[in-house]
Amino acid sequence: MRFLPLVLRHLRKSWIRSVSTILALALCIFLFCTLQTFLLALNRNLATSNASRLVTRHAVSLVFNLPMSYRDRIAAIPGVKNVAMANWFGGSRKPGDFSEFFPNFAIEAEPYLDMYPEIGLTPEERQAFLQEPRGCILGPETAARFGWKVGDTFQLESFIPPYRVGRPFEFVVTAIYHPDMNRFPGADNTLMFFHHKYLYETTNRRVGVGTYVTEVGNPDQAGTVSKAIDTLFANSDAETHTETEEAFRASFIALAGNLALLLNTVGLAVTFTILLVTANTMSMAVRERRNEMGVLKTLGFSSGRVMGLVLSEAGMLGLFGGALGILLSLMLIRVLPHMPLIGPMLRGTPGFGLPPSLAAGGFALALGIALAAGLIPALLAYRARITDLLRQI
Amino acid sequence: MAMVEVIQVRKVYKRDTLAITVLDGIDLQVPEGEFVALMGPSGSGKTTLLNLVAGIDRATSGAVRVAGQDLSTLSEGALARWRSHNIGFIFQFYNLIPVLTALENVELPLLLERLSKKQRRERALTALKIVGLSDRAQHYPRQLSGGQEQRVAIARAIVSDPKVLVADEPTGDLDAKSAEEILTLMDTLNREFKKTILMVTHDPRAAERAHVQRHLEKGVLKAD
Repeated sequence: MRFLPLVLRHLRKSWIRSVSTILALALCIFLFCTLQTFLLALNRNLATSNASRLVTRHAVSLVFNLPMSYRDRIAAIPGVKNVAMANWFGGSRKPGDFSEFFPNFAIEAEPYLDMYPEIGLTPEERQAFLQEPRGCILGPETAARFGWKVGDTFQLESFIPPYRVGRPFEFVVTAIYHPDMNRFPGADNTLMFFHHKYLYETTNRRVGVGTYVTEVGNPDQAGTVSKAIDTLFANSDAETHTETEEAFRASFIALAGNLALLLNTVGLAVTFTILLVTANTMSMAVRERRNEMGVLKTLGFSSGRVMGLVLSEAGMLGLFGGALGILLSLMLIRVLPHMPLIGPMLRGTPGFGLPPSLAAGGFALALGIALAAGLIPALLAYRARITDLLRQI
Repeated sequence: MAMVEVIQVRKVYKRDTLAITVLDGIDLQVPEGEFVALMGPSGSGKTTLLNLVAGIDRATSGAVRVAGQDLSTLSEGALARWRSHNIGFIFQFYNLIPVLTALENVELPLLLERLSKKQRRERALTALKIVGLSDRAQHYPRQLSGGQEQRVAIARAIVSDPKVLVADEPTGDLDAKSAEEILTLMDTLNREFKKTILMVTHDPRAAERAHVQRHLEKGVLKAD
């Protein structure tokens, strides 16, 4: 602490260089924290997938529906415990306005709710939903966002052509689900479910099935059952592609695996660049002050202490840069869920936020980069002989 | 007892394959409280000898004893600690830290001591008072004249109350008036504060202020 004023004075003296380095470090930590927060949210989302649930879609694309007749044929495959139809509705109060967007699905209610215990409903709520053809279940976050309560009615219109019938769909809120977050920590609180039958009938029985969700009795059989489903419909008009729920979500969320690799690669490249920038700053700082270091050593400062001063200066840059980067990341992460387009998606990601452990990691990374950058100049200052340092006059 | 004893000291610098003998068998004794001027042409080894006595460089062979301590036996860390207690170094170009005030510059060696901030400030102010610059305590080096900067540097050199002051051309960068003031100050430190002073200088007028003048030539100390 005694030497802190000296360290801070030097940083202040070359304030343009110090501020630039701090900003560079802040950018690095900002990217690290923000990207990792996204990845964590993504992983948390995937972690809610159940190993015993399979998703079957059209082999060509999700855009194409599958025939409803497939349902019973899938159910007859050995190892299959339950099958449910589920269509992504893409409804919104104002079609095309993505700021209003929230995920809504038309489901085959009974088997679907049996397969998804995370949609926490009391028996009464479940019954109320099953009995109301226009009924829907809302996630608590969506209900709160639009101020919808049980018994309220509202209208949604889909932007997907087959689901557009010239008028909005009307829904009645029959229940607001409350997932057990201890059992299902990644459960999504923004979903809406309504009856597939309502969609089917309102569209004059023109729509098929977007996806079939299949529950297998034994998760170890997931591969065999997937293969059996796809084999069953091979060479038909609507061939299928079946995969685990996790794989389906991963492919749906912009190929999460590759995204993680991309984000990590970008982060690593930025980190390495900042390391070089900071190392350059520290080298310049030490080179400019060789004489001063000679004086300090002459006054009785040990080589270790002089090295410590250089590292402290680097560490201080890391400290400020890290703190600023974390602050910026926190601000962005707080603001993003309220932004158009990306906001609704993030609101659906449970617990989207910068975890303290990640912030601490970012801070440690900033310090690590700064200290690593300062290490070589500090070692040079440590090893330099006083007479050589003073000769620079 | 001699405060500084230099016994058969040789200093050889190696530049690639070339060995350059800068000091060749130097013997020097400086009694306690003495004020010695080391003179000689450029390249004669004056500064090298001063550096050896100050413990900022090591002899190739021979012994350097200062205040009873054989410097060759000390490790780098121990030598640094020893310097902070026993040596006050005055540079030709003052070498003040530009980002620190005069007071903070003087306080710098005291950061190595176990002293409270208040104690450090008091001692630094006392040192500045001795050199007649207590009114400039909060000034930065750039706000001081050359002579004032050198006086701050002298305050820094004496603040830890060292036994020996070594000065490398302390008036070399000053005008005549300022040089005179610095020499008077050094004289005071020698007479009143009993500091042993070893001063390297080219200036015969500066050398005249010393009690003893020794001449170095081509790495050899000439007979008195």
